[in-house]
Amino acid sequence: MKVVNGKILIITMILAAIIAAGCTGPSDEATVPESIKIGLVAPLSGGASDVGNDMKQAAILAVEEINADGGVLVAEYGVKIPLELVEGDTQTSPTEGVTAVERLITSENVVVLVGGFSSGVTLANQVPAAGKVPYVITGASSAQVTRRTEVDTSYFFHYCSTTDDYSQPILQFFVDELKPLVAADRDLKLALIYRDDAYGKGVIESSVAYIEDNNLPIELVAQEKYPGAETDFHAYLTKIADAKPDAVYTVGFVKDTASIYIQGQRDVGLNTVYMAVECNEDPAFYELLGEWGDGQLLESKFAPYADDYTELMGPYKEAYVAKWGVMPGMMGADTYDGIYLVKSAIERAGTLDRTDVRDAIKQTNESEMLILMEGGNIAFDEYNEISPKIFIEQMFWNAETEELTPVIILPDDLKSQDFVLPDKYEIGG
Amino acid sequence: MNNPPIFFFLNIFNNMAEITTLLQILIWGLTAGCIYVLMAVGLNMIFGVMKVVNFAHGEIMMLGAFTSFWVYYYTGLNPYLILFISMILVGVFGVIIERYGFRKVLGTGKLNEIFLSLGLIYILQNAAVKLWTDDIRKINSPFSSATLDLGMLNITYDRLIAIAFTALILICLYLFLTKTDVGRALRATSQNHEAAMLMGVNVNHMYMLSFGIGAALAAAAGTVAGILSPFNPYMGTIPGIMAFTVIIIGGLGSIPGAIIAGLMLGLVQNFTIFYFGGAWKEAVAFVLLIIVLIIRPTGLFGEEH
Repeated sequence: MKVVNGKILIITMILAAIIAAGCTGPSDEATVPESIKIGLVAPLSGGASDVGNDMKQAAILAVEEINADGGVLVAEYGVKIPLELVEGDTQTSPTEGVTAVERLITSENVVVLVGGFSSGVTLANQVPAAGKVPYVITGASSAQVTRRTEVDTSYFFHYCSTTDDYSQPILQFFVDELKPLVAADRDLKLALIYRDDAYGKGVIESSVAYIEDNNLPIELVAQEKYPGAETDFHAYLTKIADAKPDAVYTVGFVKDTASIYIQGQRDVGLNTVYMAVECNEDPAFYELLGEWGDGQLLESKFAPYADDYTELMGPYKEAYVAKWGVMPGMMGADTYDGIYLVKSAIERAGTLDRTDVRDAIKQTNESEMLILMEGGNIAFDEYNEISPKIFIEQMFWNAETEELTPVIILPDDLKSQDFVLPDKYEIGG
Repeated sequence: MNNPPIFFFLNIFNNMAEITTLLQILIWGLTAGCIYVLMAVGLNMIFGVMKVVNFAHGEIMMLGAFTSFWVYYYTGLNPYLILFISMILVGVFGVIIERYGFRKVLGTGKLNEIFLSLGLIYILQNAAVKLWTDDIRKINSPFSSATLDLGMLNITYDRLIAIAFTALILICLYLFLTKTDVGRALRATSQNHEAAMLMGVNVNHMYMLSFGIGAALAAAAGTVAGILSPFNPYMGTIPGIMAFTVIIIGGLGSIPGAIIAGLMLGLVQNFTIFYFGGAWKEAVAFVLLIIVLIIRPTGLFGEEH
């Protein structure tokens, strides 16, 4: 009898526990997460920490704006939940980047990752996220981040321009705008100088392929590559000057590109047109160049120093400067958009399930934000890439204010004025 | 690739443009060499007297650049005047590092000295990033746009000043080492610690002095580099490695060797970039090193022990 009573007691307790579990008020209220964790993957230390900090500052700004409005509405819980930014410092290193992303996924349990600067670092750190966590990549220009085949790339979204995106308008500028002025009856002589790393080689390979595939009237008269830590470009530029180019196309970061512009004109006497790629859209670039940037060129997709060409630019600049005391950079703008893109995707998904959020990001079809899009809408193509609108800026030195400021000269629907040859320009340098 | 140098020299008088090019590269090479010389002479001062290998010498160079930058930022003084202020401040810092760092491990084994200097690399770099961020800086020279027109080529004043200042600093160092009692004591300590001690030289003071002078020379190199190019806290890594290459090529402990090898490396690297491309710039330093070591294992001016 005692045994039977004991069994009844145990069964009764289990049933009571099950009933109690089912009766502890509305389950949705009890399980609403305190926050939605977003992992920011950025180089917050190491060689690229200036860019990483811009990304971080822009992400914090976006998160604060969203949280000031109550957070992100998640239908599954029926309430708005605030965002929480969790930093993952790649230390500008592929191996440290992998560690950072693993921590964000396993320890912090983030819903989505945003960021990723430097193609080499990002190609490594996206591996732990492959097939598991949506990753909105806002700072790596190699198309391989979404086109590689050895890992599952279905969770990766490329929210920045690829090397293909920007080499094409640059080369078209040389052919359509510069060639008629300086080489109307012959091929344009172009010199390339680039970083000897995955980024530099990627841009140059896609540029050379574009010239050959489209049979552009461009003759490559010099191709010089330099180590990433190089500071002295005189010998490279002397060799380039010997080839008498009509223009010099540089692929480097702020410190090296600014040195090339200055050393080329001031020291080597290579008075030609210099073109830089978009990662130089940074306050430090204008500051370092000073008067040596006068009449020179920069490819970009975000121009905070130019006129406010989009409605969002003014308020963003104002908020960024008010909060951080410095002008915003381009990678930060990509990241700012990336956070809002994630907000929208979670609201459309109505859940924090990573696969559903991934699907919602894939189906994005919304108005452009800080980064302008071809066609005006943000949408991801078959490779999970966007189609950013690229523009060319020409910089001008104001001797009175001692400021170097850019104006957009291409494309036609954004330009403030036409391209003009720099005052000191000499054909063949 | 351009014509190899031998053909260039054969045709040299037929082509004035190529002479200009040659002269230009000579100037670029000499200026690059000046930075190597200042670095390597400092490194050799420390090694010659203390027999300590300071791998953090590149980071001391970086401190020199930042010291000059901040003095310039707050005072607006001429950067070439600031160079001497920076040399004094960083020299004092070097003395402190020697007194409270290297002195503690001196004689306890080479590994301890090596790991102390390797640790200093990370400590100084991270401290610089923490204190000053790794934003890109530039020391603006009042002569940054001024050039000397020599007809065939223009040379910026900053490059000429860099060469002149290097020569001035080396002459002062030579006079100090040969014409003063303290300089003679330093040389005596370098030649034989025990004999110097028996002659009444305070060897510990000589250690501090040599480290201070070495750090001051690195500060001069950092300031010149910071005037010529933008920099951040990671600027010292490559020059630090190259300074080691220079002192091995020139001969460990030999100051004339460091001067000759530093200038030689600057010239060879610049001619290599011109004729063979930038990918060979660092490699050629080690090719040169291997060739010198095969021919003369103690380096160009090194003493056989």
